[in-house]
Amino acid sequence: MTRSDTGVVATDVAWRVGYRWILKDISLTVSAGTMTLLVGGNGSGKTSLLRVLAGLARPAKGSVVCHGGIGFVAHHSMLYDSLTGRENLEFVMRLDGGHDPARVNALLAQMGLEHAADRHLGTYSRGMIQRLAIARALLSDPGVLLLDEPLTGLDEAASQIVVDMIERRRSEGHAIIVASHQLVELIGAATEVGYLVSGSLAAWEPVNGGDAGSVMKRLRELAADG
Amino acid sequence: MASGLFSAAAVIAAKDIAVEWRTKTALVSSLVFAILVLAILYFARDATAVSAFEVAPGVLWVTFTFAGMLGLNRAFLLERENHALDGLRLTQATPPAIFLGKMVGNALFIGLVELVSLPLFVLFYNVPIWSRLPMLMLVIAMATLAFVSVGTLLSAMVVRTRFSEVMLPVLLLPFLVPPIVSAVQVTWRILADRPLAEMTGWLSLLGAFDVVFFMLSLMLFEAIIIE
Repeated sequence: MTRSDTGVVATDVAWRVGYRWILKDISLTVSAGTMTLLVGGNGSGKTSLLRVLAGLARPAKGSVVCHGGIGFVAHHSMLYDSLTGRENLEFVMRLDGGHDPARVNALLAQMGLEHAADRHLGTYSRGMIQRLAIARALLSDPGVLLLDEPLTGLDEAASQIVVDMIERRRSEGHAIIVASHQLVELIGAATEVGYLVSGSLAAWEPVNGGDAGSVMKRLRELAADG
Repeated sequence: MASGLFSAAAVIAAKDIAVEWRTKTALVSSLVFAILVLAILYFARDATAVSAFEVAPGVLWVTFTFAGMLGLNRAFLLERENHALDGLRLTQATPPAIFLGKMVGNALFIGLVELVSLPLFVLFYNVPIWSRLPMLMLVIAMATLAFVSVGTLLSAMVVRTRFSEVMLPVLLLPFLVPPIVSAVQVTWRILADRPLAEMTGWLSLLGAFDVVFFMLSLMLFEAIIIE
């Protein structure tokens, strides 16, 4: 399956908090069937860029155009502690205009949460909440998937489930952007790497068989130049 | 199913009610607060100088206003938890639908508090409301609409601040002065069995506040929640 009509294009995007510019003139195109690994130091603007691309933050300058719908996994789960895992997913699905218990069950099973589906979120571990947040982002089968540190709190087995999901969706033609410091686990699934330095996109390069070490080395070079 | 404004609002309101019914945190707090205010203000007056009837309208609206405020605080704290408001914004629910859903949830919550407080008010202050109940309910509904319209907007505004529980009353109370004064004036006339003609001016004012507060809040909500 290919989804050539999906992707996200940002043109000269800038975003600020008060008088401080967090993102400066960022232009990028993420096409269908690619997985871009967004790397950068703390405070480089990775989370802000994903929030702007997701439509949660309005850019002060520039524009973002998304084709195919967006799924977003943020730092915070965006879920309700007082609802069960299943109720959380059904709530989002209803707001998106649907009611498909089979899809909810399938996503819970895909994330290894079927046994905990009817427990309140307050009883979930950090890793289980992260997996449910990912299931939430996949509910509407979005063409563009934005993941902010998706492996945080996950053990090795759960991380592999998420990496497998990323690779499968990329091969199905979805456009994916992942911001993460966990390069070793994710570099194998990536087709491109975006380097963010002090709010600017310093480089956007194909992976070309590179490993986590070479990506880190390149980031250090760009940071030194910047 | 939930693609429309009202269906999305209904889904959000139902979620809020379900969560509150499960935890009962704000509901119990508001009801206990309402009972305490009614009792304290009853025993605080000098019964030989001021009759219960004279202070009853003011007591009723002080009780409703402050008990309701406890619930308003809760409404968006729920959305601050795990940044759930971002999750709402990522769905197809539009900002007006989110506002309406939160407002209806607040109105149902405050309506329940009012429903429980009203018989206690009658019990404490021995006021004859039963023959005038439809008119009294109309005034309560109109004042509650003004209260939840502006209250929902302001609670969304202050929820990201550090002291939102303190900020909400400080910002909200000045806006509530006109509708609450109108409600007190109409309530006094209803309890005194005055003719409807004496109330129409205050009722018109209350209705005008309802329309203005609701429309302004609906229009400004998106600007409040966007970064």
